[in-house]
Amino acid sequence: MRVENLERPVAEGIARAMNAGAGYCDARFFSEDGSETLVLYDGNLEANTASFESGLGVRVLYGGAWGFAATSRASDVSEAFEKALANAKTASMLVSIPLNMGVLPAVTGSYSSPVVQDPFDVPLSEKLAFLGGLDERLKADFVQRRVVFLYLQRMRNWFWNSDGSFIERNLLNCFADSMVMAQDGDGQMQRRSKSLLTPGTGTRGWEMVTNPDLWSGRAEGMKEELSQLLTAPELEYGRRSVILLPGQGHLQVHETIGHPLELDRILGYELSYAGGSFVTLDSFGRLRYGSDKLSVSAFGSVENSPGSFGYDDEGTPERDYLLIDKGILVNCLTSRAMISEANHTAGRQVFEHSGGASRSTAFYKAPIDRMTNVNVLPGNDGNLSDIIAGTEDGVLLDNPTSWSIGSNREHFHFGCEIAWEIKGGKITRVLKNPTYQGHTLEFYGRLSAVGDRSTWVVEQVPNCGKGEPNQVMEIGHGVPVMRFDDVITGEEK
Amino acid sequence: MLDETTRDAILKVRDEAAEKGIDALFTMHREKSHLMRIGNNSVSLNTSEDLTRLDVEVINGRREGSYTIMGDITGPDSVRKALAVAVEKASVSTPKDYDPISRMVEESAEEMLQYDEALEAMDPGEKAVVYREIIEKTGSHLNFSGSWSSGSTEVLLASTNNDNLAWRIGTDQQFTCVLKHPEKKWELASFQTGWQAGEVKAGNTIESFNWLLPIYQKPGFRVEPGEYTVLFGSQAVAEIIGMAIGTGMTGRGYEEGMNWTCGKKPGDSILSDRITVIDDPTDMNTFRFGFDMAGMTRNIFPIVENGRMMNLFYDLATAAKYGKKPTPHSGSASVVVSPGDGPECPMEAVKGMGRVLYIPALHYTHIPNRSKGIFTGSSRFSAVLLENGEMVSPIFSSRITDTFQNVLGNVAVLAPWCTSVNGSSTYDRRMPEAASVPGYMVSTGVKITDSAESF
Ligand SMILES: [Zn+2]
Repeated sequence: MRVENLERPVAEGIARAMNAGAGYCDARFFSEDGSETLVLYDGNLEANTASFESGLGVRVLYGGAWGFAATSRASDVSEAFEKALANAKTASMLVSIPLNMGVLPAVTGSYSSPVVQDPFDVPLSEKLAFLGGLDERLKADFVQRRVVFLYLQRMRNWFWNSDGSFIERNLLNCFADSMVMAQDGDGQMQRRSKSLLTPGTGTRGWEMVTNPDLWSGRAEGMKEELSQLLTAPELEYGRRSVILLPGQGHLQVHETIGHPLELDRILGYELSYAGGSFVTLDSFGRLRYGSDKLSVSAFGSVENSPGSFGYDDEGTPERDYLLIDKGILVNCLTSRAMISEANHTAGRQVFEHSGGASRSTAFYKAPIDRMTNVNVLPGNDGNLSDIIAGTEDGVLLDNPTSWSIGSNREHFHFGCEIAWEIKGGKITRVLKNPTYQGHTLEFYGRLSAVGDRSTWVVEQVPNCGKGEPNQVMEIGHGVPVMRFDDVITGEEK
Repeated sequence: MLDETTRDAILKVRDEAAEKGIDALFTMHREKSHLMRIGNNSVSLNTSEDLTRLDVEVINGRREGSYTIMGDITGPDSVRKALAVAVEKASVSTPKDYDPISRMVEESAEEMLQYDEALEAMDPGEKAVVYREIIEKTGSHLNFSGSWSSGSTEVLLASTNNDNLAWRIGTDQQFTCVLKHPEKKWELASFQTGWQAGEVKAGNTIESFNWLLPIYQKPGFRVEPGEYTVLFGSQAVAEIIGMAIGTGMTGRGYEEGMNWTCGKKPGDSILSDRITVIDDPTDMNTFRFGFDMAGMTRNIFPIVENGRMMNLFYDLATAAKYGKKPTPHSGSASVVVSPGDGPECPMEAVKGMGRVLYIPALHYTHIPNRSKGIFTGSSRFSAVLLENGEMVSPIFSSRITDTFQNVLGNVAVLAPWCTSVNGSSTYDRRMPEAASVPGYMVSTGVKITDSAESF
């Protein structure tokens, strides 16, 4: 399948669907959806894989209901439109609230991820030499397991819809992780890891992967912390402050701000799988989500992030706006059909326009409401040292080992790799097996310190799962260091 | 089904590669998938996929490389191209410090034991009709969600190491319906599974909702943290046992000191003597694969027998690295948990036990500490407080954080019958998987560590 040969059949397919009574139709063609995965495990290249997908996905709204069809065969393009329309007609047999995309002006545009050196153009031998070099630096007598992971994505796609929009995008993502592991004195496996992050600015090609400040320069620090974990006592059960470094804070934000603020979850479209949300349409402009130190944005005009992609998968330009303003919930992650349903259900205009958050992971998956970048804005409570100095009794936590969240995102339990105990404003020792749990609104209400810009980084998430058929999406979170008071930590014996 | 051209193309290129001395495994995967999703009493998505993927895995001495394509796989040229990429990747790869085990299709196979053309070709309209009946007969003032995935999976494996060809086609379906009260916010769920058209019945779901709807008229009960006797439903049993096996019985985790079973050896007691688990590809409650995705022939494989650890799973890489025999567990497993000797009815089983929590399914379970076997997850659908076998009130969202050794160690009663629990994910390519587990399990001293004031 080639895009030059598709323009006409796609235009004809959209016209046929609209003439047949469709309310909206769009098509996405991926000439390339490629990935490469390299995993060194104890120095052995255990994964050396690549994949290539190409094809066309068609979405038709008919009678207020969605039909979707996809094909990777050039001969089936016309049939894909017929199938999507037929699927939509079947879906329209059972409709209580007809979905509506509204009519928007046509958008023509293009977006390319900022890249200096395309990692797919870097010879495999060079990539392996770089990863092998990092693996060497992870070695130490006491280190029992070493993992170095690289996952690259490159997507080239074209989008057409019945508004007359036409968008071309070239997206590129680099994800990387490294980890060291060893058994402690109790025979329990401990680990320290570091993922490739971005400063939010700059470019996201091979140059990002090889920048030691963003990932690979942490090898010595990881080993040192692992060695401390091997003789550390366990974090004991009790209430205390927790300070989340971005390595942990981003997942806290992802699970308990990002997901509950997806409008399809709020409206109940994820109940059969991922769950709902404690947020309701009445919450906007009213609900106190956290202390007044909490301000959260969507997209945030972050230039270097997997959650920055120019246009969403229904032709809406990505939009920078506040989700939470000084603790008050003001907006959420939205798509066109969801805002029209929300406004209809609420009987008033809750949302003005789509947040540009309708995303799909592949040509063969229909778009759903996703996170873009969900960012906590930097605060005024100084740098990490200042926040530690202002903490009487707490723990500083980094990197998740486990995460389990209530179905409406109302409560959560996290396990982390490492805790540093803080007493009287000073770090006193390392503690192992840290866990903490809480209830979302109470927890964010106890947000007592937010680090300044020096503590803020964009953590990359390559694997957010949602939807049926499930879609694994890439997302970013710009987060500073955050402190929460009076949190239950550890497990009761 | 795969047309002759596709099959011939793979075999032709396989033979060419064999002649050149290339060590390669070719896996063709074709899915015809359909999924209908329900939200707010409407069809929210109706989607069809017909996708063909080709994986080529190449071993070159101690080097390996692989490549997957999805797209127009129309003839030998596209297969040759994929092979060439995998060969190139393997040649540039860094060598391992052990000898990889070559993939070999152990025996030729043609399997279509669980294939139903009618399900593969099912009209999506039939799904809408079933959901409509459930909504109309249960009450359209309530809020219904759901998803119904159905389709066929066809796999073909051939390696350059012999002339064998393993082929399987099968159909499967996974049905979920969630009922949510629009104001009170509680949720009930019904799950159905199978591989044949007509197996999913509106009546089954309506009946399961009607069983719990009266008790759900009562206000919710907040469970204070503490130790409780818990009556787990089959979904929860399958989830807990699946996670216990995944974190306890994998060879890699065991050899490398990560599993909660480390320190134990085959024959040692690790769980209650009521627990017996095998991998049984002949069990009709599961999706049956006679061979695994590395080409190995599958047979009955004991995992836990009367609580004693029996065999660990060794994937090819782990087996090669640690000098063990690989086991045929790449792809879909058929986990079968033996039934117990409890009464037919779960409520009978907990009579005389005082306060018991009925938790049919767990939401979002995770492993805070694999070495200790600690898991955590919360109740969600259809959870009920029981007093001496009588339903008293629905319970609010409650968190269990406990060990496998405790929850599967203190099993008081197991159902005398087994049911199929569909564990297929729709994350990646279609690969149906189901477990056969006792219909209920009663465990004592289960730790509830948190609870909410909402469902
Ligand atoms: Zn997620």
